[in-house]
Amino acid sequence: MIALLDVSLPIIAFISFSLLTIPAVKIIRKRKSGKTVLGLCWFLAIFIVAGTTVANLALKYYAEPSPQPFLNLSLIEGSSVIFSSVFLVDAISVYMTIIFTIVGAVIFIYSLFSINPNEKLSERYYAVMLMIIGCVVGTALAGDLLTLFIFWEATAAGSSFLMLYQKTAKSLHATLKYLVMIIIASAFIIYGLSVIYALTGSLNFWEVKHALASLADKHLIEIAFIFIAAGYSIEAAVVPFHMWLPDAYTAAPASSSAFLSALVDQGSYYVLLRVLIYILTPPTVLPWTFMFAVLSALTMVVGNLLALTERNVKRLFAYICIADVGYNLVAITSVTPLGIMGNLYFFLAGGIATALSFMVVGIFNSMGFKTLDDFSGVGRKMPFTSLSLILAAFSFAGVPTFAGFIAKYLVFTSAIEANMSWLAVIGVLTSVIQAAYLLRLINYMYGRKPNAEAEAKIKEPKKLLVPIFILAIAIIFLGIYPTAVLNLIDPVIKQFPFMP
Amino acid sequence: MQNTLLLTIILPAVAVPLVYFLGKKSSKSAAFLIVLTCLINIALLSTTIPTILNDTSHKYVESYYWIPVLHASFTLFVDGISLSMAIITMVLILTAALFSINYMQEKKGLAEYYALLTLLSIGLVGVFITSNLMLFYFCWELMLLPSYFIIGGWGYKEPYRAAFKFFIFTHAGAVFVLLGIGAIFMVTGDLDMFQAQTALMTANPELVKWILLSLTVGFAVKMAAVPVHMWLPDAHSEAPAPMSALLSGVIISAGAYAILRVSLGTVFPAVMATDFGNIFLHGLTIFGIISAFFGSLIALVETDIKRIIAYSSIAHMGYVLFGLSLFPFQEPITGTVLHLVNHAVSKGLFFLSAGAVMKQLEIRDIREMGGLAGKMPITATSSTVAALSIAGIPPFACFMSEFLIFVGAFQTINIDNFYLIPTALMLIATVLSLAYALRFLSHVFLGSTKHEKVADAPSFMKLAMIILATLVVALGIWPTFFIQLITSASFV
Repeated sequence: MIALLDVSLPIIAFISFSLLTIPAVKIIRKRKSGKTVLGLCWFLAIFIVAGTTVANLALKYYAEPSPQPFLNLSLIEGSSVIFSSVFLVDAISVYMTIIFTIVGAVIFIYSLFSINPNEKLSERYYAVMLMIIGCVVGTALAGDLLTLFIFWEATAAGSSFLMLYQKTAKSLHATLKYLVMIIIASAFIIYGLSVIYALTGSLNFWEVKHALASLADKHLIEIAFIFIAAGYSIEAAVVPFHMWLPDAYTAAPASSSAFLSALVDQGSYYVLLRVLIYILTPPTVLPWTFMFAVLSALTMVVGNLLALTERNVKRLFAYICIADVGYNLVAITSVTPLGIMGNLYFFLAGGIATALSFMVVGIFNSMGFKTLDDFSGVGRKMPFTSLSLILAAFSFAGVPTFAGFIAKYLVFTSAIEANMSWLAVIGVLTSVIQAAYLLRLINYMYGRKPNAEAEAKIKEPKKLLVPIFILAIAIIFLGIYPTAVLNLIDPVIKQFPFMP
Repeated sequence: MQNTLLLTIILPAVAVPLVYFLGKKSSKSAAFLIVLTCLINIALLSTTIPTILNDTSHKYVESYYWIPVLHASFTLFVDGISLSMAIITMVLILTAALFSINYMQEKKGLAEYYALLTLLSIGLVGVFITSNLMLFYFCWELMLLPSYFIIGGWGYKEPYRAAFKFFIFTHAGAVFVLLGIGAIFMVTGDLDMFQAQTALMTANPELVKWILLSLTVGFAVKMAAVPVHMWLPDAHSEAPAPMSALLSGVIISAGAYAILRVSLGTVFPAVMATDFGNIFLHGLTIFGIISAFFGSLIALVETDIKRIIAYSSIAHMGYVLFGLSLFPFQEPITGTVLHLVNHAVSKGLFFLSAGAVMKQLEIRDIREMGGLAGKMPITATSSTVAALSIAGIPPFACFMSEFLIFVGAFQTINIDNFYLIPTALMLIATVLSLAYALRFLSHVFLGSTKHEKVADAPSFMKLAMIILATLVVALGIWPTFFIQLITSASFV
């Protein structure tokens, strides 16, 4: 039986370790010898402890499949308490917790190697990273709209620090843009939540859902829905609210972009999924699917076309993140069990692929290769790094034997199932565009001659290849044998008729 | 043995890293390792022949656990048609590897080249020996990836441009196949070709119609039927010769095989009785004729040695489409599959010998060649065998299969007189193919010698050509083996 402690331990572990990291790294830095080893040991210990708490939760959840689709754990017992934090444990939230922890750990290795721990303020960078992992895990496990909101806003606030780390003019500008958007978004959400609270007298997922389903007058729900959906769409960078994302991800250091794209982005899709499908809907209450189907088509087309015209490679991958929002929305709007499976698989596959590509692009950027022309001929000189980028590229394009294919297959099939074949057709056609610009990148990397002065700088960074190869192998493994992960998501199908 | 077919997939998969590391030391031994895996695979595949010929189901099936959530099992199966295609694929990869020993000698990165070739062989064989649509799609795209890198990495002129075109066209086709497969999964809840066939019978015919169209368009791109053929001439002519042989011999045949197996075999029966079924078949016929004429006519005026052969491939896929449109009669389908086999061998040989000429002369314009027959006797002989086979002259391979297709066409005319004019047109197209074959031979090998210091191809290239030339003649004289195999498979 899962107790409240099992659920809250991962969150507590990450957040308390994040606070401890600042003094710990400072102490380690002052020592004369063995800095690297001690530092590594400290972070290894954190991930072992936190990983154990997550494993504990996962094992307890999967050990005895409970007849209930979800567990409802309240911080204060008794339903009369209005503002008690409530946690929700179902297959989706456990799965999200697992992937956030694992992917977060791999990216953490990368940032340890790419952000120098001896640098001033670097300890805060690591602390914020751990804090964000704790917060997204909290978001995944949240069981009422307010808990969800608090954890999610904490994630967003922390993200701005990660973007700002290098303190260049560009990153200041981008972070400001991001913060403004996020604050507008949270104002929208708070407004929507207050309307929901006024209508239903609660923010608890189940009570809100029941109350909304039986409500006669739908006008106020519509208003609340528009505000909440718009707020979370801004945070997920759905076109036309996407402008902050390319700037932010391009200006941020590589490890931040990888981290944000793999955890925070996927977290924002999770929030959209949870809020839209599980709480505010079912579509019978409000026919929102068509609106989001149009937004999703728009996001896929705009994201991919912007990427097609982009010559800065890092920005190109930022645009792919936008396109990925569109693919996730396809599955969300289908409102089918297959679609939710597709979403969950996409969270992992897309997260790994974007993280991998930002990591690799970060290596190239640090050598001064920024635009497509700079990438000319690097493939032959840095075979391993380039190979990893190719794997990520094919995963994005949805080529089989790479993780992205299974994700896209599930997503498009769910659209066909929901009688929205037009969306599936747009989806596959934009995938072809995706293949086109990614192949153009490969063409530059392998088909062209490197310019002589750049060639001298080329050197493969051995350490950074470790996290990169972990993700590259994961992409192939998930593409060839997806069952390993699909079995984790499988209970979703049985839980699909939502919450009772 | 129990896991025969699984081994044919695992063996090359294990060979990929071996070939790579061996190739780092000596590229020749890497090529020999590929030859060895091909030989073992042929032997493994041959062990299923008794089951196929004698068993009542005429099939040999193995099934393994893969992705149960998506109803995708790792189902491997062979019947007569699959087996013929798989064996001929192995033969072509074997000769391509042998040919590469000399042909690719001076190129760099041969370890990668041979490793990619081995990877390609997994996809190529996998496409023919699976009945699960998901696995089929995996192999379908696995043909594409290594080919892309082989064309891009070791091709001529601007290779990555041709490779790009190849990838984008066929990938765009493939996503339509994916839509079709996804729709089949939605409608039937199953991804097995044979189970889906029965389940589709009761499905909404309107939807089945779209599935059929989407799949067929996707496959037709790989097959390079005329409106979607644009990738083929570039890809075939810029690729290194062994890769061209595989592209033209097997990869486009895989498109035709897929139309037969998936479009016609799995989906088509559900709409066969309707008007749409007839329109669909007639549409195939028309596109077949257009392809045949278009390909032959351009081959008649083209001057680049490999583009001539590339366009001839388009023409031959026209014959195949014509043959497929005579579905479900036994003779034309047998003829069509036999033509895929024969065309693979003949076209493989044609590309290899053209590659030998290019390699020795280092030019590609046929107007600058001439009189090579005396200088390069083996290459000239094998070219002649290939060209005459492509032109449909007895006793070479393609004659038999074209003959069978036409016999089938005449039988079909009795039932549906729509086929009267198309059959006549197709007969005219064979004359055109004779014309470009003779033009090719006379330009390249006959006439006055323009190049004095030319030696015949090196020994391994000769060996590869001799193997294929022998096969072309043997299949022309004694096609019984493949005909037996193919007729044992049944449709509908």
